Amino acid sequence: MSEPASRLPVPASRLPADQRINSDLLRPLMHTSWRFFLLLAVFGGIVLTAFVAWMSQAYRGYGVTGIRWPVYWGFYITSFVFWIGISHAGTLISAILRLVNAGWRRPVTRCAEVITVFALMIGAMFPIVHLGRPWLAFWLIPYPSERMIWPNLRSPLVWDFFAINTYLTGSVLFLFLPMIPDFAVVRDKSTGLRHSVYRMLALGWRGTPKQWHRLETAMQIMAIAIIPVAVSVHTIVSFDFSMAPVPMWQTAIFGPYFVAGAIFSGIAALLIAMAVLRRFLHLENYLHPVHFENLGKLLLMMALLWGYFVFNERLVTYYGNEPAEMAVFWRTQRESFAPLYWTMVVCNFVLPLVLMGIRRFRTITGCVIASFGVVIGMWLERFLIIVPSLGHKYLPYSFGIYRPQPVEIIIASATFAAMTLLYVLFAKFVPIISIWELKAGEHTPAVLVPPATEEHPLGELHL
Amino acid sequence: MKAVYGLYTDGQSAQQAVNRVRAAGFADHQITVLSAQPMEDYEFGQVDKATWMWRIACIGGLAGMATAFGLTWLTETSWPIDVGGLPIFAWWPNLIIIFELTMLGAILATVMTLVVTAGLGRSSALYDPEVSDGKILVGVEHPPDSALRELETALGAIPDAQVKTI
Amino acid sequence: MPKWGMAVDLDRCTGCGACVTACHAENNISTVGAEQAARGRAKHWIRVERYWEGDFPDVRLKFRPVMCQQCDNAPCEPVCPTYASHHTDDGLNAQVYNRCIGTRYCANACPYNVRFFDFFNPSWDKPLHLQLNPDVSLREVGVMEKCTFCVQRIKATTIQAKAEDRPVKDGEIQPACAQACPARALVFGDLEDPESSVSRLSRSSRGSKLLADLGTRPSVTYMARQS
Repeated sequence: MSEPASRLPVPASRLPADQRINSDLLRPLMHTSWRFFLLLAVFGGIVLTAFVAWMSQAYRGYGVTGIRWPVYWGFYITSFVFWIGISHAGTLISAILRLVNAGWRRPVTRCAEVITVFALMIGAMFPIVHLGRPWLAFWLIPYPSERMIWPNLRSPLVWDFFAINTYLTGSVLFLFLPMIPDFAVVRDKSTGLRHSVYRMLALGWRGTPKQWHRLETAMQIMAIAIIPVAVSVHTIVSFDFSMAPVPMWQTAIFGPYFVAGAIFSGIAALLIAMAVLRRFLHLENYLHPVHFENLGKLLLMMALLWGYFVFNERLVTYYGNEPAEMAVFWRTQRESFAPLYWTMVVCNFVLPLVLMGIRRFRTITGCVIASFGVVIGMWLERFLIIVPSLGHKYLPYSFGIYRPQPVEIIIASATFAAMTLLYVLFAKFVPIISIWELKAGEHTPAVLVPPATEEHPLGELHL
Repeated sequence: MKAVYGLYTDGQSAQQAVNRVRAAGFADHQITVLSAQPMEDYEFGQVDKATWMWRIACIGGLAGMATAFGLTWLTETSWPIDVGGLPIFAWWPNLIIIFELTMLGAILATVMTLVVTAGLGRSSALYDPEVSDGKILVGVEHPPDSALRELETALGAIPDAQVKTI
Repeated sequence: MPKWGMAVDLDRCTGCGACVTACHAENNISTVGAEQAARGRAKHWIRVERYWEGDFPDVRLKFRPVMCQQCDNAPCEPVCPTYASHHTDDGLNAQVYNRCIGTRYCANACPYNVRFFDFFNPSWDKPLHLQLNPDVSLREVGVMEKCTFCVQRIKATTIQAKAEDRPVKDGEIQPACAQACPARALVFGDLEDPESSVSRLSRSSRGSKLLADLGTRPSVTYMARQS
């Protein structure tokens, strides 16, 4: 069969573009400046301080925290729920956008998946930090123990264990699998120790059509599997509250409310991460304003959804007019917690609506400001779910006020430093934008290209 | 002689090379094609698509479900403890455990299938680092000596080809 | 199988607090000091709740002793991840200190706030350490504790009765609070026995359960104050 080569337009070689992508996205791996070490020192120092604080809590006794009768959960559980919530960033962007074939997701997927994995790790640490006897945390693992007892599978905390571990395993794999072809690129472009390490990480990746098919099929299956897991994880975290007869806790809306809030805070965290990466790693050619605009619109939608859930929850409580619930209701809305409550409403609802709703403000800066507001607002929301209710249950003699102590403040705030530290380390060793996925965006999958004919050997592209 | 291959700058040249190698008498499973991204808009990028991965993922899910059933049933009935009057084997809470382990089973089965079928972890066969720069490699590993000359001609006939023999 | 319960006669209760002191003594509950108590760390397994109503000079004082209600439908039990909080066959909500890892979910779930956390390792100034009750284990930092209806006394008496091959008599088991109460406001006994005083008092027309509308089905009946 002769090739009518003279009749066909020769597609321009994409080699220069590919090489430019390689060098741009591999630059953070190949070149390290003093700023990296400074970041490491500063954030590492903060994380170390928090670790020392936790050790002092374990040594001196749990009483160094502000936990008291009857407010037995405070900053630690707030941070736990907050970070598990942030971890829903990756799932939304990576999995859902992958499944609906949204091309604009390509530079963004790995940033999002990294947030998921590290936020999960940080969040999963808090159930251990908040335990009275953390050295026995392993009793949550279902293993045949010499005490001949298994964990209580009917307890929401044990569901947490299963759900978070499943999600963590799934997310780590979901993150790692598409990194393999990129490790191969780094392997090819480096020498010496770096070459050996990345050769091991690349697992012998070559790039045959079979390998690409298997990888993409695996990613497809994982994307489908990880979405229900993510929904279940934060629903199960919400069960930590709704399974107890505490005023304003025992409500069926907590499941969807928490999941929506999680996706909301996840998108905000992603926007902040993207903006920082764009600025400091000079990724202006890869993370375009349109990416921020699209995510900003999603942020707006989630802000509206968040407002819907809050309205729902509060209206039903208001009409129920049950004395214990209304006492907590007014406590957050009018009394001692009102300043925090209304700050939360402004940060979570008013600010995103204004900044993301008005097109002129939907710039990268606008997105970052709205996102910071959402991160603060969502942390406050978790706090306002936990503490006002616990301090004001049913018997007035047993009401109490929670005052966070330095230990809790240090550990809770150091998690932000820990997240930044982990992210900086990751961006140093792995290309933060998925190289092959970015390039693959140019090659539309066969389903969009009709079969080739004699006149059109490549088929016609219809987008 | 270990391999003869050519490096091409774009998919169309690579497709032509593949067709020429086929015309030279080599079967599809003898032809190695390597690229830095999936090239599904070309015919050569469509080979080896059939996979059992979906089925294995479902089987993995079922295995996870069975494990969860076993875990909940055996652990809850081996030492029945009354908590708040809940049934010893309570369906509603156990469904959560069953769901999580089902999904975990599906995920792990998928990843294991990927590792096995994509040949990950095996020592690499034919490879050229220039593939990472966007070149597409088309070649034959361990060709018979008699077909060497014909192979080199076929691979080199496309403009801008780099033919190498190792 | 007996089902242990209590009846509290609020008409007889004077709010003297002898029950609180006796409970501390019997169950090796350490005092935490003024500063920690102000921070909400006191562990009064039974407490006398005090409410003031009205403005001066029409002030009325209401009080009632509150201890673990040993609920039949206890919200604290299903949520414990290690089965430290579970229900026994004789109707008690058991707290197994050795299984507790201190998640404090049970305390959050308890509507009566009768569960306490050990914030520090307990300590007694000498020579008070000599008065510790050998029948009750000490709890280390990080575990939850609460009223057990003096399970050590229940067990001791039942074992003694079994050894003597006779049933337990009504009023033979006296938790420390019931024993110490000078007004005999606290009555303990077997709710399965319709003739026991606690059963008869529970059926009193003055009787009600605390927070009954929550559906916890507590084993403690409070008889309303008449005056």
